[in-house]
Amino acid sequence: MNPGKNIYIVAALIACSVSSQAFAQASACISLKSSAQVEEETTDAAGKKSVKLVQADKVVPGTVVIWTVTATNVCQKPSDQVTINNPVPTHMTYVADSATGPGSQITYSLDGKAFAPAAQLTVTENGAQRGATAADYKAIRWTFANSLQPGATVNASFRAVLN
Amino acid sequence: MRSRSSLFGAAALLVGVAAGPAHAIGVPAGTAINNTAEVSYNVGTVTSSVSSNTVSVTVAEILDVVVTVQTPTVSVSPGAVAQLLRYRVTNTGNGPETFHLVMNNAIAGDQFDPVAASPAIYLDSNNNGTFDASDAPYTAGTNDPVLNADEFVTVFVRNDIPLAVVDTDTGRSSLNAESRTGTGVAGTTFAGQGAGGTDAVVGLTTASSTETGTYRVEAISIVANKTQVVADRWGGTRPVPGATINYTIVVNATGTGTATAALFTDNIPANTTFVPGSLRLNTAVLTDGADADAGAYEAAPTARVRVALGDISQAGGSQTIQFAVTIN
Repeated sequence: MNPGKNIYIVAALIACSVSSQAFAQASACISLKSSAQVEEETTDAAGKKSVKLVQADKVVPGTVVIWTVTATNVCQKPSDQVTINNPVPTHMTYVADSATGPGSQITYSLDGKAFAPAAQLTVTENGAQRGATAADYKAIRWTFANSLQPGATVNASFRAVLN
Repeated sequence: MRSRSSLFGAAALLVGVAAGPAHAIGVPAGTAINNTAEVSYNVGTVTSSVSSNTVSVTVAEILDVVVTVQTPTVSVSPGAVAQLLRYRVTNTGNGPETFHLVMNNAIAGDQFDPVAASPAIYLDSNNNGTFDASDAPYTAGTNDPVLNADEFVTVFVRNDIPLAVVDTDTGRSSLNAESRTGTGVAGTTFAGQGAGGTDAVVGLTTASSTETGTYRVEAISIVANKTQVVADRWGGTRPVPGATINYTIVVNATGTGTATAALFTDNIPANTTFVPGSLRLNTAVLTDGADADAGAYEAAPTARVRVALGDISQAGGSQTIQFAVTIN
C-alpha cells in the first residue's frame, strides 16, 4: 500500500532492539557468549585428514558437542572473582576430563547448587556410596584466580555427548 | 560433503556410548538442546551476574533398523507348503520411520532355494506374535510398516519346500528392512527429511538390516535289503522243485526323525509256496494268522507276508525279517 511507511516501521524496530541491547551491556561489565560446536573431519586431496570445529546446528545422538563460554570485560575497570557456571544441557552427558579453562579452577556439581572438585564428589546409590563419575555431573564451574582486565577475555569450555 | 564426514565421525562415537548397534538410541529427533551459561563477578565491592545468550542445537533424526530372526532354524519335510519364518523389525533410530521389506531366497551356501508362497510376507497385524487369519499380507509401498523409535513389528515369511530335497538339506531365506527415507554409509545425510523437518542421518546400521532364517529338512529313508539262501533236498543249493528258499530282509532307517507305522510286505514269488510258520522278526517267531503279533501270511488276494514294524528310526537299529518258500 505504502512502501515508504513500511520501511519506516522496520527501521524503527531495528533501532529499538539495538538500543535495548546497548542498555543491557551498559549495566553488565562482562559480556558472556555461549557457543556450540562439533568436530568436523575433512580429508584433503592427498588423503590427509584434519579436524576443525564448526558451529553445531543439528546433531544426532552420540555426537560430542563442544560448548564454549567466552567472557569479555566490557567495562573500564577490572572484574574480580570471575566465576562461570554452566549446566550440562539436558539430554547430554558430560565427557570426563573435557572441561578446560586457562587460569581457572574447575569444580563440578551433582545438583547444580553445591560445587566441589571432582575427587570430592560422591553419589549414594542403593545405599552404597561411590565416587561420582562424569555422567553424574549436572553443572560445571570455572573460578578464575586473576582479575579480568578491561578488554580481556577468558574462555571456558567442555564437551558433552548427546544421549 | 563436509557435514557428511563430520556426522560420520560423530556416529562412530556411538560405539563407545551405546551398548551396541542393536541398542536403540536416545533423544527423540526434533528435541532442542539449549545451553545458557552464567557468570558472576565483582567490580570493586559490587557483585553482579549476567547470563549468556542461549545456544540451541536440534537433535537430528538417526535412521537405524535391526532385523532379527525369531525362528533361526525351522524343521521341514520335503514338499511342505507355507512354512513360516518369524522375524522382528525394530526401529532403533530416534524418530518415526517407514520401512520397506524385501525377502530373498537365492542365498549361496545352502542345498535348496525355498519357494516363496503367495503371498509370502505377512505383518503381525494384531501383534500377538503368532501367524493367524487376521494378519495382513504385506504389499511394498502399500502397507509398509511405520514404526516409532524403539517400536518393532513381527513379520512372517512363508515359503514352500521343494519335493526334491533330502534329509539335512538346508534352504535359506532372508528378510531385509530398509528405511524409506534412505540408506547408505553411516553419516549419510538427508537434509530436512527427518522427523519435524530436521535432518535425517543414517546410523551405524546403514538404515538397512538383513537377517536369514534356515529351513532344515528332516527326512527319514528306509531301505530293505533282501538276500536268499537256497537249500535243495540233497544238501546242495540248486534251485530245483522242492528246494527251499530262505529269505532274509534287513530293514534300515537312515535320516532324521521317526517313520511311524512302518509296514513291511513282500509278495511270495510266483511258482513258490510259503512255508507255514517260517516268518520271523528279529529271530522271534511270528504266527501266520492275522493276530496279536506283528506278522501274518496272507494267501489272498495276493500271497504275501506282512510285518508291522511300527515306529522306526535310525537310532532304533535294523529290523530283520525272515521267511521261507518252497519251489513248486
